Amino acid sequence: MEFQRGDKIEVFRKSSDEAWEPYMDDFLGCHGYITDPDTTVNDPDALIEISLEGKGTHRLPQDCLRLLADQEDTR
Amino acid sequence: MEICPVRQTILFLSEQIGPKGLSDPKGQRISEQILSLAEEIAEGAAGDRHLAAIDALVEEYDYKGSPLKTREAGKIVKGYLDEHREVFLSHIETRNCPSHDCGKLAPSPCQMACPAGIDVPTYLALIAQGKDAEAIEVIRRDNPLPWVCGLICTRPCEMMCVRARIDTPVSIKFLKAFAAERAMSDRAYKNPSPRPANGKKVCVVGAGPGGLSCAYYLALMGYKVRIIEDLPIPGGMLMVGIPRYRLPREVIDREVAMIEALGVEISYNTRFGTDVTKDDLEKDGYEAFFLAIGAHKAWDLGIQGEKDFPKVIEAVTFLKDVALGEHHAPGRRVVVIGGGNVAIDAARTSLRLGAEAVTIAYRRSRNQMPADVEEVEQAEEEGIEFSFLTIPKSIEGQGDEITALSCVKAELKKKKGSDRLAPVPIEGQDFTIPADAVISAIGQYVDDDGMDAFDGVNWTRRGTIEVNHASMETAQPGVFAAGDAVSGPATVIEAIGGGKRAAEAIDRYLKGIPQPRMPKIPVRYNTEPVIEMSASRKMTLKYPEMPMLNMDRRRTTFQQVELGYDEASVRAEASRCLRCDICRRCGECVDICRDKMGINALKLGYLEFDHNSPTDFRVTAENCITCGACAANCENKALVMDEKDGKRRLLLCGTVLNSQDIQYCDGCGAKMGSAEYTRFISRKTRNISPTTDSRLLCNNCQRRNGAASGAPDAPPPMA
Repeated sequence: MEFQRGDKIEVFRKSSDEAWEPYMDDFLGCHGYITDPDTTVNDPDALIEISLEGKGTHRLPQDCLRLLADQEDTR
Repeated sequence: MEICPVRQTILFLSEQIGPKGLSDPKGQRISEQILSLAEEIAEGAAGDRHLAAIDALVEEYDYKGSPLKTREAGKIVKGYLDEHREVFLSHIETRNCPSHDCGKLAPSPCQMACPAGIDVPTYLALIAQGKDAEAIEVIRRDNPLPWVCGLICTRPCEMMCVRARIDTPVSIKFLKAFAAERAMSDRAYKNPSPRPANGKKVCVVGAGPGGLSCAYYLALMGYKVRIIEDLPIPGGMLMVGIPRYRLPREVIDREVAMIEALGVEISYNTRFGTDVTKDDLEKDGYEAFFLAIGAHKAWDLGIQGEKDFPKVIEAVTFLKDVALGEHHAPGRRVVVIGGGNVAIDAARTSLRLGAEAVTIAYRRSRNQMPADVEEVEQAEEEGIEFSFLTIPKSIEGQGDEITALSCVKAELKKKKGSDRLAPVPIEGQDFTIPADAVISAIGQYVDDDGMDAFDGVNWTRRGTIEVNHASMETAQPGVFAAGDAVSGPATVIEAIGGGKRAAEAIDRYLKGIPQPRMPKIPVRYNTEPVIEMSASRKMTLKYPEMPMLNMDRRRTTFQQVELGYDEASVRAEASRCLRCDICRRCGECVDICRDKMGINALKLGYLEFDHNSPTDFRVTAENCITCGACAANCENKALVMDEKDGKRRLLLCGTVLNSQDIQYCDGCGAKMGSAEYTRFISRKTRNISPTTDSRLLCNNCQRRNGAASGAPDAPPPMA
């Protein structure tokens, strides 16, 4: 999975990455946009910046994110 | 999703004072008093003593002889307060309810999206009114570098801007730059008054955006702050990573000067761990440390020839040298390897220094480039060439001179077990790009040199400093960190937000107050008056086009490329804001108009985040009867009915959705609804209230006429 700026995503599961903090459990099920993907090397392991509706902007591991269905249709 | 505890408390207390609630008058009285205070918390009208007052009232439930139900109610309310105290406090301090349950405090999406939590709707409203200095004052409560961010922010706020669901987002970033420049020019860009000095000292390592932000807020709290900076100039990556054609040096200098004016001392050309040590600083009375050392070290390319030629240059080193005054072209034919913003910056800088041909070689395709689309387009306009699906193999040359970058063409394929497309070399499709300089821009990492003294700090497997993101606190007591050193190469606004959070956490640490569980909700400072305009104007205002420096100068000088909007464009663009700090997009108005009134005049397709449909404020006037049902049910008063110049009007956050002539009773002259409203009522009541008079009559006159003629006494119902 690779994300680009403006992609609409869902936080669909917890990440097992060490960067996942307990307060991020509140983000499960939230939708939002990728606001700053890994700006250098498209590293699937990089933390990327997302803005979630009602939850603010955070940097999360990519394995907890998925593109929303309507977004996948356009890719 | 769980309901907000403040709202939950209000609902519970409302039950206690209702018919099935508490039976004892004292229990009822206590519940009423707590309810009143809780409602003020939910409306953003609470003061510092509200929670203490509620605590005291809760104790009164347990009075001598109080019924069991009353004592139980007291326990439940106390439970809400104890379990969710931070949420109650957050409502009081920030005047925001992140779950939107307390309608008046629903945060605007742009403010929530900003990593620094800037109150965007408030400052846009001020800019629309021409109050630039006041706008800057609002911004600097959360971000001490509004001018810098107005030019180079990655603007997550615009990504979440609700106006984008209608046409294009409000140009929040550039409006901020305009306001900062105007305020600075008018000598109206002022620092707030700091609190009296508290005698405590904090050391900040790094004068980048994170360090400057932390230092600014600590200085305002009364701390003595010293920043240790390795470079001879302030700004960190702002100064040595971002080229001057995007961010002029004077902008950084002026905003840093404002921070220094608060008493912040910056020690330049001073390397932490070498020129000054943690022990030295502790002996000098520094009680807390904030690490904002950035990510300045470049990854190696890992290809043959990389270490053999002096003209293989790391992009961060190249950009730094140029920023520090080294203005020589790296070569005649330059190849930049990478696809991010740093690669674009290095390429455009090479061009400005006189390179004849500049090519960016990137392993993937154009639409996978991580660089900002605008930056890529501007580079293309200036004549930068792109070689996509290009994997560098080796650097060719003779002696010290590079002659070419040897590459192989790639195709994107899914690797086994992964749904990610990866570049795979195509056998036999080797080629070369002529070059005499190669710049590598494939990423940076944190340089931990000099950090040995912080032996209690944990480092992540990504080579960054591990922190609790709510407080930016490391595992070593008294040591905090933020910016690229924590996130890896990231955005300026994240670093600024992290610096601000760290300043608050350092203050708590030095006062012995526990740290928060999660990052603080942004603070809403004010609700500015709305700007009135017609629906047509609101719909037809367009995102202004940015005037650009002419192409010859863009290719030859470091003058700022984006010249900024003119004043008229700025005021108009600011008034395009939908004021999501007032309308929380609950959709109650649409439901009532469509389902209860059967009119369906409100075509507000932008209300939902996930399911948008077309919006046109102008369409409302086609069917709206100005009955006022929508406005009467709007909790936040985003929709209001008013009367002006003989017309009844419906306004949504200042946008006039409809305006209809007010009618007067032909019998007594009393004020009545619009003709559309009267027709609607007549249609609804024609079976029970037969027309007895062809004149337009109010309820009272109809009743009088009905009584006189013997017709049924049935005035039209009010909406």
